Formats: sequence, structure tokens, C-alpha cells
Amino acid sequence: MKRWQYTLGFVAVCAALLFVLFKGFGRDPHEVPFMLKGKPAPAFTLRALDTGERVSLEELKGRPVVLNFWASWCGPCQQEHPVLEWGAREFGSQAVFLGVVFEDTEDNAREFLSRMGASFPQLVDPRSRMAVDYGVAGVPETYFIDPNGIIHGKHVGPIDPQTLTTRLRQLTAQATAAPAPESP
Amino acid sequence: MTSALLSLTLALGLATGQFAPQQAASDPLAPPLEARVQTLGKHLRCAVCQGLSVADSPSSMARAQLDKVRELVAEGKSDAEVMDYFVARYGEWVLLEPRAEGFNWFVWLGPIALVAGGLVLILKQLKREPAVAAATEPSPEVPVTPAPAPATEDVDPYLAAVRRELER
Repeated sequence: MKRWQYTLGFVAVCAALLFVLFKGFGRDPHEVPFMLKGKPAPAFTLRALDTGERVSLEELKGRPVVLNFWASWCGPCQQEHPVLEWGAREFGSQAVFLGVVFEDTEDNAREFLSRMGASFPQLVDPRSRMAVDYGVAGVPETYFIDPNGIIHGKHVGPIDPQTLTTRLRQLTAQATAAPAPESP
Repeated sequence: MTSALLSLTLALGLATGQFAPQQAASDPLAPPLEARVQTLGKHLRCAVCQGLSVADSPSSMARAQLDKVRELVAEGKSDAEVMDYFVARYGEWVLLEPRAEGFNWFVWLGPIALVAGGLVLILKQLKREPAVAAATEPSPEVPVTPAPAPATEDVDPYLAAVRRELER
């Protein structure tokens, strides 16, 4: 009889289906892939929220940069903000901390900062151009850029002191191991 | 009770500004270019939504992504270059239609192969059915109904057919 062939075919189809389902359920559907790791950080020149002066990535070359995208309407950003404040005070001498306001009004952002503290410069990103350039997929997200302007990775969601410290250690260790070319 | 609490929480959320203020999208381009922007937007996945395209989503992130498409199109970038820009950031995940290459062919051809396989099975079944019926119905040489059945029941052709089916 040819019956075993049908059974075999059925088993093959089921195995293929299981494989696809396993692949599908194996990953978090909310997770957005991030492809810019290890790539040069896209250049930006943005206006600072409080002083109005222009800040560009080019000027910051030679120092590690911690970029945080946030918004006043985002709950987790409120939880996270004290950690960044602490980080900026603790590691401010080793790395540049920058915040980028994502899809928010300037008044809301100012109010948030006056309430939560503003120990590092905040930038305004009109039309979220920079956010899309950096592949942001929601707030809060924290990017770590090494002294050569290469994106070392990003942290999705509110960052905790432990992760921040570890990530910064990696960044600064790299900076001392391979000194960045002198910026003119 | 639950619904009242929920609506109260939501209202409180709105009152305290727990939402992204809507910002106006960039101005549409000239009609032929804008049509391209919208088509490209339909093929790009919005980064914060669940399976919604950039052109269809009302979220601020989608608006920002569509603005970027508009900017790139206005700069004179080709459709492929615009797609590459987004793939370079969000990976192939951002494409709502997977590219027809490599393993992706499985996705494109899989359903066609399944339908074809199903058709073959149905055709086979249809071909076999009359042959089987022809083989079982006359069957004078094979003793289909063994002895123990009482004679009165044997008269009923329907019952005989059921017996034959059961013994097959």
C-alpha cells in the first residue's frame, strides 16, 4: 500500500508547520530588529531645548555619547529619568549624556524637566527626523555611541543603573584601549 | 465597576497629558510624487504598531516615518533606495511584503505548492472513487457476506451494503 507515503507527507507538512510556528512564537512580536549596531551613528545637528544652541554629533567625536530618546507622555520615561540623572552626575566626566525629545511639545518637555531634573542637555528633534535616522522604535530608548562615532548598541525600555554602568564601562574600556583619533 | 474605573483612569490619563501630542505631517508633494510616497508607505511597517503600514497608522511614529519617506522621495531617491534606507535601520522586518529571494521564496511559493498538492490529492481521490465502486459492487467471485448472517437481513440491500463497507 501507498498509505505510508501519505503518512510521511502528512508528518512532513506538520513538521514544517511546527517549525514555522516555533520560529514565530520564539521571538517577541513587540521587538523591532535593530540593524545599526556596529555602524557609524547618523550625523545630526539639533537645537538644545534650553539654550537654543546647536549641538552636532561631529563636535562630540572623541568622547563616548549616551543618547536617550524620551517624551513627557511616556510613563516608563518618568521611571527612567532619575537613573539617567544619576548616570549623568556619576559618569558625566567620562561620557557625554544627551537627551532627545521624541514627539512632544517643547512646553511639555520643559515642564517634565523642571519637575524631574535636567542635569544633561536636551535636544529638540523636529518631525522626529533624527529618531527615524537612528531607527527608534518607541520611547524610551538609550543609544551608546563610542568615541569613533560607532553605535555600540541600544537599550530598549527604561534603563536600570546596573545596565547603564555596564554599558558605559564597555564604552570607556574601548575608548582607552583604542584611543580615538584627535578631533581637530 | 471595572469599566467605570477604567474610563476614569483613561480620563485622568488624558487630563494629565499621558498621550503623544499630534504633530502635523509634512506638506504633501506634487501629486505624482505623493502617490509614490503613499505606495511606499503602504509597503513599510510602522515601528510601533502591530502589523500596520506606515501609510495606514495614525501613530506619531508612523507619521515621522512617512515624513522621512517624503523627504527621501523629494530628494530624488528611487523606490529601492527608500526601501534600503528603512531596511538598513529596522531590517527586513520593516517590509510588509518580504523580498522574493532566498528563503523568502518559501513564503511566496509555499501556498501555491500547498494548493497544487491539495488539487492533486482531490483529483486522485476522484479518479479512484469510481474504480473502487466498480470493484466492490459486482464482486461475484469474492464471498463478501459470510454465512452467519440471517437470511431475512440479507434481503435488505442497504444493510448488505453497510456490511460490505464494514468488512472492507
